[in-house]
Amino acid sequence: MNRRVFLAASTAGLLRAQTPTAGFANLKPMTGDIQPIGEGERLARMEKARRLMRENRIEAIVCQSGASLFYYTGVRWAAGGATLAWVLPAKGEAAWVISEAELDRARQAMRMSADRAGTNIRTWTGGDDAAYARMTQFLEERGAAGRIGIEEKASFALFDGLRRQAPALEFVSADPVTVGCRVIKSPAEIALLQRANDITIAAYRAAFPTLKEGMTNRELSANVAAAYRALGVTGDAMVIFGKYTAFPHGSIQPQRLREGDLVLVDDGCTVDGYQSDITRTVIFGKPTPRQRQVWDLERKAQDAALAAAKPGATCESVDWAARKVITDAGFGPGYRVPGLPHRTGHGIGLEGHEWTNLVKGNKTPLAPGMCFSNEPTIAIYGEFGVRLEDCMHITPEGARMFTAQSPAIDQPFG
Amino acid sequence: MPQTVIPETTYRERQAKLQEAMKEFGLSAIVLEPGPAMLYLTGVRWGKSERTFAVVLPAKGEPVWVLPGFEEMRARELIRPGDDIRIWQEDESPYERIVAGLKDRGVTTGKVGIDDAARFFVYDGIRKLAPRLEFTGATQTLKSAGVDLTPSGGRGR
Repeated sequence: MNRRVFLAASTAGLLRAQTPTAGFANLKPMTGDIQPIGEGERLARMEKARRLMRENRIEAIVCQSGASLFYYTGVRWAAGGATLAWVLPAKGEAAWVISEAELDRARQAMRMSADRAGTNIRTWTGGDDAAYARMTQFLEERGAAGRIGIEEKASFALFDGLRRQAPALEFVSADPVTVGCRVIKSPAEIALLQRANDITIAAYRAAFPTLKEGMTNRELSANVAAAYRALGVTGDAMVIFGKYTAFPHGSIQPQRLREGDLVLVDDGCTVDGYQSDITRTVIFGKPTPRQRQVWDLERKAQDAALAAAKPGATCESVDWAARKVITDAGFGPGYRVPGLPHRTGHGIGLEGHEWTNLVKGNKTPLAPGMCFSNEPTIAIYGEFGVRLEDCMHITPEGARMFTAQSPAIDQPFG
Repeated sequence: MPQTVIPETTYRERQAKLQEAMKEFGLSAIVLEPGPAMLYLTGVRWGKSERTFAVVLPAKGEPVWVLPGFEEMRARELIRPGDDIRIWQEDESPYERIVAGLKDRGVTTGKVGIDDAARFFVYDGIRKLAPRLEFTGATQTLKSAGVDLTPSGGRGR
């Protein structure tokens, strides 16, 4: 799970307003020696994109902002209407189409660009239609006459504007190209993901000892965020106490920690764009036999998914392996609660959740370089929930966890 | 910051006003993702994730909500006007639910407005299942009904 997108804006003010109760003076930034993705690798990604375009009869892709844009170009740009688009044709140089008013800011963002510092810039002034006209003009220059791929998270407005300017072109999903590239991680990407995972464990290790009776879930969130800052990154944590742990994304109800509560902490941090996503569920005080039994079952389900995640196995078979452990114990079946109400895992990389998913119906075979979360939840409404989440990457020999799994209900770290 | 609770009747009035605008602009429904328009028209604040969460506002009839199955409990805390909630499970298509919702409100042909801020994949999923519908940006209609489209401070929970 990963709720950063939900919480990022809504809790930002709160986190700033609180003075961390914990001193993390012993924590040092863990980012000093990271190796960001180099220009050569970004150029190779563009070449792979071009090959996938040819294989999928797509003549160009249009990216507007977000993870795919960053993946290819190294440029970070928040979604903001038609102000910026990047068009990569199957043949020839890419182009940036940028609002004249945003040009300076865009040039700043392009300092690190792999696209030769954005040499091919087309500017426009006026309304958004001028932007779409410029993009269309560029596509025509490159000889586009058929199918154009739209990046999945580009806005409907961008698609609608383009089709009005170029009714003869066909606009399709760019997923075969963008997902085709992003789903397989290179050694450099896996190294960045490894670091993000290591930092999250370090933040949890620092923050968990601040748990104390009567504290609110938001206080622990703030402590994890403070630990992340001390470790040199930005990160968040969703914290759920007691019976609300049964809801995979928590509840808006106020929560104060009591003896015997389960504590669920989920989310992660970002290292050069790459995301971690780790959940620990731990007892505060002494567990009941029921809590221990369900926790142990959850761990078995996570183990089963790990063992099943071999190259060539389908994504759905990994979900099935974890779900079977849980349903064999009398929970479920299917998504029914008490049981596992969601998929076993999701892809992870530049987005906390990205393609492809460990879910029923997904027959994609696992391949070396794919990265997933492994997080079968057991949710028992009215009682509690347990989720253990570690991320794994697929190697020729099988799946390898980025982090040591939690060994027991009272031991979050292995 | 003090928060005033907007009464349910206000949302009903806003939706009625939008239905008038839809008739004027020739739209038989509008599909919204989470964002300022959804917040203004329904009071529901939700974060956009890869799991489609949408509301279908038909020119005639009640809204249809389409959301992930395991989020139902959390969503029901927030959805006030409208109790037609259709969940999709992880291996199911949210777009089938959206298109079925449109059909149940009598929308099988004609023009449907799409939230201009909606992500392309949501639209792409819908259009593949509804080849007889025509889709157009909803901004003009929303603005004419007085819908506040400025992004709010928070992106929901």
